[in-house]
Amino acid sequence: MNFLKVLFRNLRQGPSTDPFPFGETFTPEALRGRIAFDASRCSVCRMCEHVCAGGAIRFEETPQGVEFILWHNTCTFCGLCEHYCVPKAIHLTNDWHLAHKQEDKYRMIEEGTMYFKSCVACSSAFLPPSDALLDKVYPTPAAIDPAMSELCPDCRRARAAAQQTTPGMAQIHEPGLTLRPLRLNHNEKRHD
Amino acid sequence: MSLLNTIASRSPWLYRINAGSCNGCDVELATTACIPRYDVERLGCQYCGSPKHADIVLITGPLTMKVKEKVLRVFQEIPEPKVTVAIGICPISGGVFRDSYAIAGPMDSYLPIDVNVPGCPPRPQAIIEGIAMAIDIWRQRIQEPA
Amino acid sequence: MINSFLAPLMIVPLGIAALIFGLFLKGVDRIVIARMQRRIGPPLLQPFFDIIKLMRKQTLVPEGAPRRLFLALPAVGVGSMLIAVTLIPIAGVYQPSAGLGDLLVLLYLLTVPAVVLMLAGSCSGSVYGAVGFSREMALVLAYEGPLLMALASVALKVGLAQGGWVSFSLSEIVAYQQQHGAFLFDPWMWPVLAAYVLFMPANLGIPPFDIPEAESEVLEGPILEYSGPALALFHLMSALKTLVVVGLAITLFFPNGPAGFAGVLVFLVKCLVITFLCKTLLRALVGRMRIDQAFWFYLKWPELLGVVGLIGVLAQA
Repeated sequence: MNFLKVLFRNLRQGPSTDPFPFGETFTPEALRGRIAFDASRCSVCRMCEHVCAGGAIRFEETPQGVEFILWHNTCTFCGLCEHYCVPKAIHLTNDWHLAHKQEDKYRMIEEGTMYFKSCVACSSAFLPPSDALLDKVYPTPAAIDPAMSELCPDCRRARAAAQQTTPGMAQIHEPGLTLRPLRLNHNEKRHD
Repeated sequence: MSLLNTIASRSPWLYRINAGSCNGCDVELATTACIPRYDVERLGCQYCGSPKHADIVLITGPLTMKVKEKVLRVFQEIPEPKVTVAIGICPISGGVFRDSYAIAGPMDSYLPIDVNVPGCPPRPQAIIEGIAMAIDIWRQRIQEPA
Repeated sequence: MINSFLAPLMIVPLGIAALIFGLFLKGVDRIVIARMQRRIGPPLLQPFFDIIKLMRKQTLVPEGAPRRLFLALPAVGVGSMLIAVTLIPIAGVYQPSAGLGDLLVLLYLLTVPAVVLMLAGSCSGSVYGAVGFSREMALVLAYEGPLLMALASVALKVGLAQGGWVSFSLSEIVAYQQQHGAFLFDPWMWPVLAAYVLFMPANLGIPPFDIPEAESEVLEGPILEYSGPALALFHLMSALKTLVVVGLAITLFFPNGPAGFAGVLVFLVKCLVITFLCKTLLRALVGRMRIDQAFWFYLKWPELLGVVGLIGVLAQA
């Protein structure tokens, strides 16, 4: 006769139905939902592109900088990109209202652009490390080397070599290594 | 006539097609239908066993090569007017199986899809949101002259 | 009291009232079972919305099916049930015509929906329909026995008490119970009551015996190839059949009630109570049996109860 007890308990307690869509529903804080990308924190290490399970992340070179494009319709919401991002530029919010009509299919995108900077020594374009990454790497803000944001990697290498006491290293001073042809992966296209 | 149309739009019947899915989205669909917490019967919906009785079609799974012909055939058996909802990222774009040789391509190359619900798998509340959107579209479709 | 020669003309208003009340019973059943499962459930008028929606869709006839038979079957089913509804008496208010208001006529009319379902399954040209047809046939074979025993017991009891042999007239059964007390309270008739109550789930398609229309097993069985208005007629047939079977239960075991409008209300309340006890409560509690389990079950216990009831009635005389 246990079913009678269960029956009366159910009738007494009333419906336990979640009121959505006619009311508010519970959203956990740690729910993995829509992606939020902060371009000011990204240093284009492209680790997120590498670990993305659904292949949803793409980096594209433009003359102004590098563009980050994420398509939510292939995103598995696994959170690996957030886990592996060092400066925490990519973040999964708890917004799960992603249902959309077919015409909006290719508009479910999260974008951001990281702009090139011009090297003060050789005027070639380079991507500076973001402030967030520098804060993580250096122990205190005072210890941050300002050359990280001003010199391109080749000029920094040249400067480091010039500070060496090894004889003959002063000859190795080749600006414009970045002017060599880029090794693009198979998803990318050049934009010039 | 429009009163009858408004009344008729309060009873959309759901039918599930699994086009090679991993069953994650199917589990979420079963959750949405069967457990008391997420009740689709409030919206007038009911899961029906036969494609001939269906109004809103819920498709999960990337369209695998093996099941493609059968899914297309079952889709033809569903009478008009109907609304198609793609649940999960697999039917929308192929999901994690996008570049696989066993996938026949995203679902909208073969079937007319109306609503997409991304997620892997989407939350039951997100599925109900997608079904509510589909009911709105179905209400417009049933009011058009046949 | 409505004059009995007008009874054949009563089919239209009675039929419409029965359709509305039958669908209303279905809606009440869905809401009550939802509340028992701690859900909210559909709005009360949901079955009406379903029927109206089905009328707006197109009917697809499968290629291998004989078209006229395919489309005529649901109409035949609804027609037979509409006639059967006019034969259910309401004590003190409505009496069916003397020629038609007969237990045997009602018995034959009750087998028409079962035959319609079987034919629909076999002529649909699909494998699932054929499986539904064979299961429905097995179930009908099984439950007709207890039904016949129950009806024969009641007929014998009323007939023997009036000095004759059997009396199949529904009006006489109602009159006898109004004089001598309802059979519900007569311990000698309790095996008969049990046999009838056990027969009801199989006829109405309620778990544990809703095997022919098993949704997840045979894709809704015999009616799977129907869509649109034809399917709406099948749903109407099932709603009316519920009303007829419940009305017959009231007639056979507890028809006593006041005259006039109050009598109609009491009848409706009794329908609601019986539907709750025998349909909703049962549906919420148990799962589905297999066809062979159901078949052997019906050949054992309800048949035994029917025989015991029949012997009891004969022994009393």
